Amino acid sequence: MIRQILGGTLALATAAAIGLAPAQAQPQDVTVGFVLPLSGGSATIGNQTKLGAQVAAEQINAAGGIASLGGAKLKLIFADSQSKPDIGASETERLIQRENVSLLVGAYNSAVTFPASEVAERYKTPWIVTGAVKDEITERGFKYVFRPNNKATYDAREQLDAMDLLKKETGKGPSSIGLFYEGTDWGRSHAANIKKFAKERGYTISLDESFPPNQVDFTAQLLKIRASKPEALIVVAYTPDHLLFTRQYFENKINIPYGIHSVGGGSEDPSFYKAVPQKAVDYLFVQEDWQIDRLKTDKDPRVLDANTRFKAQAGYDINSYGAQGISNVYLIKDVLERAASTDREKIRDALAATDITSGMPLIVGYQRIKFDEQGQNTFGHGVISENIGGERRTIWPSANRAPDTKPVWPVPDWSAR
Amino acid sequence: MDPLTLSFAVINGLLLGGIYGGVALGLSLIFGVMRVINFAHGSFLMLAMYCSYLLWASLGVHPYVSILVTVPFLFGIGYAVQSVVISPLIRRERALVVEPTSALLLTAGVYLVVDNSVLMAFGPDVRSVTTDITYESIFVAGLPINIARLIGFAAAILVAFALSFWLKHSDMGRAIRATAQNRDAAAMSGINVPLIYNVTFGLGCAVLGLFGALLVPFFSITPTIGLSFGIKSFLVVVLGGIGSIPGSILGGLLLGVFESVAAQFVTATSAAIFSFGLFIVILLMRPAGLMGRA
Repeated sequence: MIRQILGGTLALATAAAIGLAPAQAQPQDVTVGFVLPLSGGSATIGNQTKLGAQVAAEQINAAGGIASLGGAKLKLIFADSQSKPDIGASETERLIQRENVSLLVGAYNSAVTFPASEVAERYKTPWIVTGAVKDEITERGFKYVFRPNNKATYDAREQLDAMDLLKKETGKGPSSIGLFYEGTDWGRSHAANIKKFAKERGYTISLDESFPPNQVDFTAQLLKIRASKPEALIVVAYTPDHLLFTRQYFENKINIPYGIHSVGGGSEDPSFYKAVPQKAVDYLFVQEDWQIDRLKTDKDPRVLDANTRFKAQAGYDINSYGAQGISNVYLIKDVLERAASTDREKIRDALAATDITSGMPLIVGYQRIKFDEQGQNTFGHGVISENIGGERRTIWPSANRAPDTKPVWPVPDWSAR
Repeated sequence: MDPLTLSFAVINGLLLGGIYGGVALGLSLIFGVMRVINFAHGSFLMLAMYCSYLLWASLGVHPYVSILVTVPFLFGIGYAVQSVVISPLIRRERALVVEPTSALLLTAGVYLVVDNSVLMAFGPDVRSVTTDITYESIFVAGLPINIARLIGFAAAILVAFALSFWLKHSDMGRAIRATAQNRDAAAMSGINVPLIYNVTFGLGCAVLGLFGALLVPFFSITPTIGLSFGIKSFLVVVLGGIGSIPGSILGGLLLGVFESVAAQFVTATSAAIFSFGLFIVILLMRPAGLMGRA
């Protein structure tokens, strides 16, 4: 009986395929595979990237698709990595073998991206990295892996760059830095990078404090911060810990003259700002892969249209991960226009020759996308904002800073707020 | 280490430790009476926090007022879980063993179901309640003491006293203690043992209903928050002595101060190692805990 039903369905499907075939005067769709964490711990982020990518594909398809392929439409296929390395790798294989995708995008989690992009390399299928910052992803001599976004070392360098820039502008800056970070892969590697750059630039590290994720109390750590008196504090934490820290820091009213410098994570999450009073995040510096005030400064109608579409579904404005999804798909459009083919080899060559200096692929805030021989976009950078007067305003790099943004540096004492 | 910082670390450890102890009370009570290790303990706390949060978010009820709802609600949940999920198991195994080990696995299942149902219903987003009391502190010698935590601490001590008193002097309390001492003898004396079990489990959860509401003003809520408190509760109960009400508070205070002071000398990551090290040492040296009857 079951076999009969299956047989029937198959026959129907075949009939449908045959029926459609003659009508296919249109050019063939270009299929792009996405491997993203759509469930599991990073599900929120994966779904934001997915939505961003869908919005961009809608825009591109509505504007006539890929011109050099006779107006071919982009068809996005999403696979769920469940934030797990093994599933990410097997889904990648499925997309390549079964879905026959022309190229792949993924996979936010470094732990997933690392093995999954290796599968893509083995099948000679181009892989565009989204979100993942682990340095080694573009240090393996691979030919098919390209990363437009930051690597981990850039994040650390930029935080100190921003301090240096503000020091140069005002003549004032911290000499000692405190480090407060979550004790897993991300926090530890970031702290190690900061220490390396701090040493080169002559900052002393006055506090080096890690904590296991999902803490219930930071009072003891705040006491240490109070006692070690860092002039600036770098914080690495995911949302729950970042929230707890911010609340207790606010409660304890510790003065840190050159502020708290967060490297994203919790402070990139829209729900973070809903959960703390504005006063607790005043003058908070946030490093993230998205220019947070872009929607106010950018008058490109495509950006505004993308935001309208994004907001209609997400309920909030485009954020870092949504923007990366948009950027990735527009990068793919640019590449396909130049490749004029859906052949994976030609797409790879076009990707390697990428040099974008304007337009939607740069929505995240870069000035340029150009890959080195390892596939890393050396022009990729994050953007650092400061929370001034209830708004998060870009302060670094100066090229992204709005003319009316005046960084507050040093930050006022609690008694003066 | 200057004495001011150290004394503040101790005070904070006491405050937090009291709360740990209060949260662990229910676990200790349930184990003491039923010999069931309730793995879903933290999940019930999480449920209470969500309940309090929902009342605040939808109706604007102050978390402290929501106690009127969360305590009966959690009592009901505890009662229902015991009578529907755990009691058939105890009935089936009572002839074979006195301590139903498989109940541990069963409650582990309850924990997974509850945590994931909440994850499904509310998503992984972090939520929190902002009330007038959240950031209020009184300053003692220039160091802030958070009022919401102080209230949690006071509540823990109060509940522990009330619970001990009630267990000693009320009819139901006596019946519960009798059941804890010897289930079969209690049954022969006319005590309705299944009912006592249901009430005990409900009571253990009702305490969580109280602390869920007391924690909400200063903790952010995620579907996985239960686990961190669940593990702490196990530590506390083993430290203080399984089944002992004052032991639970003492264990909590000890753990709180230990964590808080240790964290002044090493990082929190290493301090966690010491807490669990302490746990193992106590288990080796004094398996019944500090105040437990060996």
